[in-house]
Amino acid sequence: MALLNRMDWYDIARTTNWSAKYVTEDELFPTKLAGDFGLPQDAWEKYDEPYKQTYPEYVKVQRDKDAGAYSVKAALERSRIFENSDPGWKSVMKAHYGAIARGEYAAASAEARMMRFSKAPGMRNMSTLGCLDEVRHAQMQLYFPHEHVSKDRQMDWAFKAYDTNEWAMIAARHFFDDIMMTRDAISVSIMLTFSFETGFTNMQFLGLAADAAESGDHTFANLISSIQTDESRHAQIGGPALKILIANGKKAEAQKRVDIAVWGAWKLFSVLTGPIMDYYTPLEHRKQSFKEFMEEWIVAQFERALTDMGLDLPWYWETFLEDLGNTHHGMHMGSYFWRPTVWWNPAAGVTPDERDWLEQKYPGWNDTWGQCWDVIIDNVVDGNMAMAYPETLPMVCNMCQLPILGTPGKKWNVKDYPLEYNGRLYHFGSEVDRWVFEQEPERYAGHLSIVDRFLAGMIQPMDLSGALKYMDIAPGESGDDAHNYAWAEVYRALRATKKAG
Amino acid sequence: MALFPVSSNFEGDFVLQLVAVDTEDTMDQVAAAAAVHSVGRRVRARPGSIMRVRRQGEEDFFPRTLKVSESGLKPTETIEIVWEAPKH
Repeated sequence: MALLNRMDWYDIARTTNWSAKYVTEDELFPTKLAGDFGLPQDAWEKYDEPYKQTYPEYVKVQRDKDAGAYSVKAALERSRIFENSDPGWKSVMKAHYGAIARGEYAAASAEARMMRFSKAPGMRNMSTLGCLDEVRHAQMQLYFPHEHVSKDRQMDWAFKAYDTNEWAMIAARHFFDDIMMTRDAISVSIMLTFSFETGFTNMQFLGLAADAAESGDHTFANLISSIQTDESRHAQIGGPALKILIANGKKAEAQKRVDIAVWGAWKLFSVLTGPIMDYYTPLEHRKQSFKEFMEEWIVAQFERALTDMGLDLPWYWETFLEDLGNTHHGMHMGSYFWRPTVWWNPAAGVTPDERDWLEQKYPGWNDTWGQCWDVIIDNVVDGNMAMAYPETLPMVCNMCQLPILGTPGKKWNVKDYPLEYNGRLYHFGSEVDRWVFEQEPERYAGHLSIVDRFLAGMIQPMDLSGALKYMDIAPGESGDDAHNYAWAEVYRALRATKKAG
Repeated sequence: MALFPVSSNFEGDFVLQLVAVDTEDTMDQVAAAAAVHSVGRRVRARPGSIMRVRRQGEEDFFPRTLKVSESGLKPTETIEIVWEAPKH
């Protein structure tokens, strides 16, 4: 039997709205789940997805793609790439899998909300495939690291991370809960797919795939390249929804959701991707600095995506551009200094050669971040390790849940952005974080940061052992220097030369 | 006498830190408690300089002998600890 071409039947097949007779429209599409933008159902029927795909096509393409990724993994399982790779690269994998794998499964639930509750038939079709994508991504990103669990306890965090109160996971959960687990279908399409996926994840996967290939980790490179092609498809779910909102006079509501999600995504990337690209990836394998990467892949492309859509750049865009050269250096220093509290081993990334690279990419690095690193390096070189660890907690932001930080050293510029609300003093890491809180205070006010929990006596005993227990970091999982401080030998040699000279 | 948490923003450091002081501590004692977590860890000591404390965003320092209980600070409020060069 001859088959019709897809475009001869696609529109008819996905026109699945009908007039409900046995329930009201509100019962069929409860506003909390469907979105309350006051638009009639027929407005949503104009939703026109740019990427049209049918279920049979999806299955065929994905089957081939998954088979490719799985067969590369099978072929390389005996290659000892993991055992032989740089410890900094292992940390990249551990941080990535822990922060992402179970988040993908949560994203499947968010896609399912669009699939069931969106009033736009086209969105429901795309989200069906998007949901399947996320289920596959969760499965793959749990299956791939599993072969390494017996070699390295920290790899277990690919599965475990989301069930813990580890501080970076509290931050990741807080963000994902906000943009995708507790929003209506239309807001999910804007905040998860348009803002987070178009703006950021697509690029995380591109950049990481390049670094993985450079580092010789072809299994990881193939896996995330495969995922990226799915992301670039389902990331387009939000665009047509934005067009409908703007055409119907709802630009302000759409813009606010974009502004909130982009900022949260940026903060999460500053702690996850920034240190990976500028400190963990071995110097010889670095393609671009994090700032260059962000400017090329995110700033330029996302600016265009926003303006093409008829949206404005977020009101804080200048601040964001400026932060591209700063925030992640602080996030790196924080996760390095508090390394016992992360599930990977941070690479310091501050040998003299690496510092030259940092100074070249970020002029002024030595006078700012370098000033703090000088003290840390001296302590490590002198064997004064007690001083190379913390004895208290950093203050964390009540919005992004990450340390409140700024530029140190000769250009010292660190600031708290406090706000008193209903008698409680909240702390924020930036004006933007505080602004997000102020948009809907009741949404966020009840959450306790890790510092709030500590002060409330929820972490016992009130020391590092209590903190590790609270974060569920078991022996063998606690982070330490990725290279076991081998990099300090260069500094010892330099000192010896100086002394001899 | 009661434990009192403050947020320490130490000159030259990169992050705010939680520091426990006592309501009876003087501002010099507060500065010393904050220094434990910054000086020698990420900030070099400045021999001869003294450390002064002020509320974030204010120009004037608290008097060095002022007690926390007399300062009007709220729990977890952010204080800046700033080096003051010795007077000659």
